[in-house]
Amino acid sequence: MKSNTNKKIASGSNSPVTVKGAASRKLPLLAASCLVLFLFALGMASRPKPAVWIKKFKGSRYELMAAGKPYVVKGVCYNPIPIGKGQDYDWWSDPNKPWLTDGRLMQEMGVNTVRIYKAGNNPESVKKVISDMYDIYGIRTIMGHWLGFWEYPCPLYGGKEFQEKVKKEVLEMVSLYKDEPGILMWILGNENNYSCFGQVNPWSTDEIDKETDPAKQNLMRARVYYSFVNDLAAEIHKIDPDHPVALGNGELLGLEVAGEVSPEIDVVACIIYRGKSFGNIFNSLKNIFDRPILISEFGADSYDAYLGKEDQNMQAFFLEAQWRQIYQNLAATKGGAGNCIGGAMFEWTDEWWKHNEYYADGWSLHDCESNWSNPSYYFDIKANSNKNMNEEWFGIVELSKEDESGLDRRIPRKAYYLIREFWKNPALADTPRKK
Amino acid sequence: MKRIFLVLAAMFLALPTCLLSAETSSETSKEGSSAVTLAPKEFVIYNDKNSRDNHYIPSGFMGDVGDIKLNDQYMADPHSGPTGIEFVYTAKNSQGQGWVGVYWQNPANNWGTRKGGFDLSGMTKLTFWAKGAKGGEVVREFMVGGIKGTYPDTTLVKFGPVELTDTWKQYTINLAGNDLSYISGAFGWVTTSDLNPQGATFYLDDIKFEADPAMKPEGHKVENMPFYVYADRNSITNHFTPSGFMGSYGDIKIDIASNTDPYLGNSCIKMVYTAKAVQGVRWAGVYWQNPPNNWGTVDAGFDLSRANQLSFWARGEKGGERIEEFKIGGIMGEYSDSDSASIGPVILNKEWTQYTIDLRGKDMSYIIGGFCWVTNADVNPEGATLYLDEIKYE
Repeated sequence: MKSNTNKKIASGSNSPVTVKGAASRKLPLLAASCLVLFLFALGMASRPKPAVWIKKFKGSRYELMAAGKPYVVKGVCYNPIPIGKGQDYDWWSDPNKPWLTDGRLMQEMGVNTVRIYKAGNNPESVKKVISDMYDIYGIRTIMGHWLGFWEYPCPLYGGKEFQEKVKKEVLEMVSLYKDEPGILMWILGNENNYSCFGQVNPWSTDEIDKETDPAKQNLMRARVYYSFVNDLAAEIHKIDPDHPVALGNGELLGLEVAGEVSPEIDVVACIIYRGKSFGNIFNSLKNIFDRPILISEFGADSYDAYLGKEDQNMQAFFLEAQWRQIYQNLAATKGGAGNCIGGAMFEWTDEWWKHNEYYADGWSLHDCESNWSNPSYYFDIKANSNKNMNEEWFGIVELSKEDESGLDRRIPRKAYYLIREFWKNPALADTPRKK
Repeated sequence: MKRIFLVLAAMFLALPTCLLSAETSSETSKEGSSAVTLAPKEFVIYNDKNSRDNHYIPSGFMGDVGDIKLNDQYMADPHSGPTGIEFVYTAKNSQGQGWVGVYWQNPANNWGTRKGGFDLSGMTKLTFWAKGAKGGEVVREFMVGGIKGTYPDTTLVKFGPVELTDTWKQYTINLAGNDLSYISGAFGWVTTSDLNPQGATFYLDDIKFEADPAMKPEGHKVENMPFYVYADRNSITNHFTPSGFMGSYGDIKIDIASNTDPYLGNSCIKMVYTAKAVQGVRWAGVYWQNPPNNWGTVDAGFDLSRANQLSFWARGEKGGERIEEFKIGGIMGEYSDSDSASIGPVILNKEWTQYTIDLRGKDMSYIIGGFCWVTNADVNPEGATLYLDEIKYE
């Protein structure tokens, strides 16, 4: 029967024979392909995961993974300028090593990450800080770069020379610190996107200037900027596959453009000051640029500009509400957006130089004058001219002129204790209306 | 036999109480208890002139108080009894406010400075009868409670806008679920000259609270589309008020009843920006808010979740005027807008042009800042005059 069938096939039907013959000829090829696939799979299985990576779940939910475990960034922005010093002070080389005192306090609070805006000038000092923080306290470092945002006269993101200069700096930074076990991720820029929309440090190019529609000009600038950051991220991935690259961004402004031109970006790191709520930011991001979100700068000051006195309750109220929202939108929390990987509150210590960075005598005074308004922080919005935000009062710990081991004494504020308890047992019920 | 006698005696003694409660009380405890709580079924604000049942006085005049005349013994055609209340509103803007209103207070003229009022717990609705002299008169809103001050009312419920008919009609304000434990401003109404440019004469009668167990607390209301910010100056469909002046607000003049070539209907909005930097800053803008002047301090957002976009028509007087941003939402405060969206910069044409703000993917569940525009002197050194019309969510 078989023989008859074969005959019939051989004599009466072309196509099956053709198939059989082709399969016979391709057998070695198939075997080779399988072998290659097997070896590839073997290679994939044996290649270690990156030190830090992003795990994606259904519904655009994301988790940050570090050392093989889910990692919620419980972060704080860190720039420990002592009383009496200005913003250029090289704290990295401070012989009293403020990070050791701060790291201990942070560890006791539950902080697992510091966000640093820019590495110091001395690589060995920087490495020492990163390794001390990690080795002694288990605190990882998010390292940032300003991408020339404050360059005079403006950040010329459309210029090749400017781009090359920034690129060289960024890649040097990554090369220097990528092998530090304490590194968690890189953040490129901070609120640089505002320069594309003419709000801060505006810049342009000849081509953009030819466009008469100002809205289109903005989009052209955004395309130039986000393409440049994408190129940087691609270059970083080549030399450091172990750490995600985040795009620092003020609010969500411009991210619909980044969604088109920045596929190399792993994380969106947003700077948000919206009082007790981040609003719809988590779901909005999903619609315009599907990436995990780190709230890389948020917080509240502890000075009531209306009553003219410190109010630690006010700061603690806002910070707890903000952390609650972050936790409500983690991948592990049911019901939320699931795309948040944590946050870094602004900031660890007060910075006494901030009210007037050019007035050195003022660096020794804890200035109470506000110079900007934000009605989201509504308890003191009735302050004169509605200026209620006090730059020198954002610290989770306050600084005292009292000397303690060569450092300004650290005095934790109420927020320190409240957030410490929140992290131990996050209560995710809705934010109460009153402080 | 003795037991039957005792039961009959008890029933006989209880009969008058039962009859009384059928008239004036309701049974509030039904689960396992034999106790019956006596509570009034209604509480009168106004029946008739000099009625002993009246509990509040229409003493709280607001806004252009010179534009109102009150006759609390209107006898030509009251709804019931010998008298009703007549209001004649001239809309002359005597005090320059553009709006007017009256509160029924207890005691008279009590703006929360004195203890007074009543505990109206158990009441679930307020009913009243109203009609206009011609029909078409518009009351922007009726209120229950809302007096602030040292002794504030425990609730504020708004109802409206209402376009009156020329025959008596009963209206019901649902109060179920509201805290009525202290109400000194029992009832009030507010309207504007824009809604009634020719003035209005209207009548009210038989205003009372009622304990109606059938009333249930109103659920969350999602607004239907289209939802107008501005249709015409006197449109009952308008929402939000252009009250949020920002920056050099002295540089802005608004006419929400301009008849200079409106896009649709009988009027449009004219905005003149002088770029003089009167308040010392070189920018200015206006938010349309609910209620007026709400910078996130009042819990009064509309749920516009059904909106996919906001559209509006705009033109510049000369063409070339530049608006940095048209925006919705974004007011931040104790009660913040749930989201924001914007377009801009926009260079206006001399001809009417329609613009849209895409709201897909936005959380529109709570909006107090319904519309906004912002510009500055740098891009309009000579100032700018712009016109807006047909601003609506859809």
